Amino acid sequence: MTLPTPPQPLTFPALTFAKLAPRPFLTAHLTSPSGPLRPSGRLPSQPRAPTCNAGSLTHANGSAVVRCGDTAAVCGVRAEILKVDDVAGYEGREVEDGGDEDGDEDGEEDEEERRSEEREPKRRRNDRDDLARLMLLVPNIELATGCSPAHLPGGPPSVLAQTLTQRVMRLLLTGDMIGLEPLRIWFRPTEGAAGATGDERIGGDGGEMEARRAGDEDGIAKAEVKAFWVLYIDVLFISLDGNAFDAAWFAILAALRDTLLPRAWWDADREMVLCSDEVAEAGRLVVRDVLVPLSFGVFEGEGMGVGEEGREEGKGRWVLVDMDGFEEGLCREEGTVVVGEGGRVVRIEKSGGLGVGVGEMTGLVELAVKRREEWMRVLGML
Amino acid sequence: MANTTLSPLHRADGSARYTKNGYSVIAAVNGPIEVQRRDELPEEAAVDVAVRPAAGLGGLPERHLESILQNTLRHVIVVSAHPRTLIQFTLQIVTSPGDDSVTGSLPQASSNLPVLPALLQASILALLSTSIPLFMTLTATLVAVNPNGILLVEPSVQEIKLASSIHVLAFSSHGDLLVVESEGDFTIDKWEEVHKKAKSICHEEAGDESESGSEDVSMSSDDSSKIENVLKEAVERKIAKEQRWKESTG
Repeated sequence: MTLPTPPQPLTFPALTFAKLAPRPFLTAHLTSPSGPLRPSGRLPSQPRAPTCNAGSLTHANGSAVVRCGDTAAVCGVRAEILKVDDVAGYEGREVEDGGDEDGDEDGEEDEEERRSEEREPKRRRNDRDDLARLMLLVPNIELATGCSPAHLPGGPPSVLAQTLTQRVMRLLLTGDMIGLEPLRIWFRPTEGAAGATGDERIGGDGGEMEARRAGDEDGIAKAEVKAFWVLYIDVLFISLDGNAFDAAWFAILAALRDTLLPRAWWDADREMVLCSDEVAEAGRLVVRDVLVPLSFGVFEGEGMGVGEEGREEGKGRWVLVDMDGFEEGLCREEGTVVVGEGGRVVRIEKSGGLGVGVGEMTGLVELAVKRREEWMRVLGML
Repeated sequence: MANTTLSPLHRADGSARYTKNGYSVIAAVNGPIEVQRRDELPEEAAVDVAVRPAAGLGGLPERHLESILQNTLRHVIVVSAHPRTLIQFTLQIVTSPGDDSVTGSLPQASSNLPVLPALLQASILALLSTSIPLFMTLTATLVAVNPNGILLVEPSVQEIKLASSIHVLAFSSHGDLLVVESEGDFTIDKWEEVHKKAKSICHEEAGDESESGSEDVSMSSDDSSKIENVLKEAVERKIAKEQRWKESTG
């Protein structure tokens, strides 16, 4: 007696399976007996390794190309001059002494130091207000570059592109990354005398102080802010495979750190801003803090039927960080945490589901702190 | 104190007006209606949200709010009940507390988050006024943390301006965290504190239920600090209105 040959099981390559039944495909990976592993071979809490190349555009003040897996973005920072006279309803704020944003006040007296420390949060808030009001940081994110089939070139900016731009803008403004001081262009009445002292310090801030003091004493024209640098920050996606926000932000961060602003001053005779073309005189933009985002999604397995032990298999929730395009298509709940120096959290956002509560969020913030170290290494800061 | 009106618009399938903390929002829901071919989803209803600001045309901040709302409402509505249809939300911000100072005149200078709780509440109330099946309802609130670390619930415009961080949190009717939008400068410990505070405002703990159950309905409705009660009250009013014929004939 011959047993009937068992029917050949229907088999097809993994890629076809992923296309036909994406949800069970991802569920099968995450419920594999050897522990949850994503189709890309990463653990659920493992982000993709980043690479960064700064200064790749020659005609921008700062630029960077950033790649995370198959997501690649290029960012260019262009600085343009905004004259104060061109701002409708501009009222100059009394600017505090000194341009040392990072508190380099070794030579100052104790009392003055304490006073300035008290005023520091207020000044920073005023600076932030001015940055926003004058729109000195103008980010734009372009997805319609043929970076992915979902974003066809030639159309108006998609909702995703607009949302990304808004999120980046809010993070730039609330994250307190860039001070107003490096963006101010001063009028210094005693240009010649101050120039010599100013050259000793990077950025020429000391010169401004000297000039201001000299001006006050003599009772002649004071040093005043005549113009601002406006930073146009453009991000173009070369390729998009999930997690656009993190890639865009890293590109912006790296480009801002690469930004050189030429030495600029107001020429009273010609009534215009002049810039020095000496590269040695140009100042690098000070980025106060490296803010690092970590985006995540929550995949909810729908279940693959009742298993042998009578319990339902494949039901569950997995928090996946740094999703690729395939995973993004399957996750409804998405969010981002952004951390800065010393465990400070700058932004937490999530919507679309119930998978992430307080406990998960705490874990994600810890992961983001680790991610920050990884990024600092890539940027050459560690 | 929140002020709600259900079905102020007669031509929409469902509508609601929600006023709180200086923000007033009218929400209209139409659905399930026919969907454009390119937006059609084979297994569920598409959710479309349009947010109109109090003044001017919508821009980037509104697009951002729309995507948060769309993502959230898609989870709240039983979308699988109406495949290949569209559920359309139109939210008009009627008033927002104006900041008269010069710095507040530009939209990009201030955060777009303070209006989010009102938008969420208005849309959930509009959904309640239609007959679209829901998995859950939601309640949302705004908490600010001032530089001294003190939590301010439903802060004023000035308080938001001076705050070191602001947080919008929304909770489902089961008490799970549904939406978070936090920005500013804070620590995770502070955030947990904010979460606890917001949850106590938005959602009645299981322990509280027996307590409120012993009280009569009007007493618990008076407790306006619980946003859930605002929803309850609105639904009670709606039911009372719809049952009027029965009471008069009975």
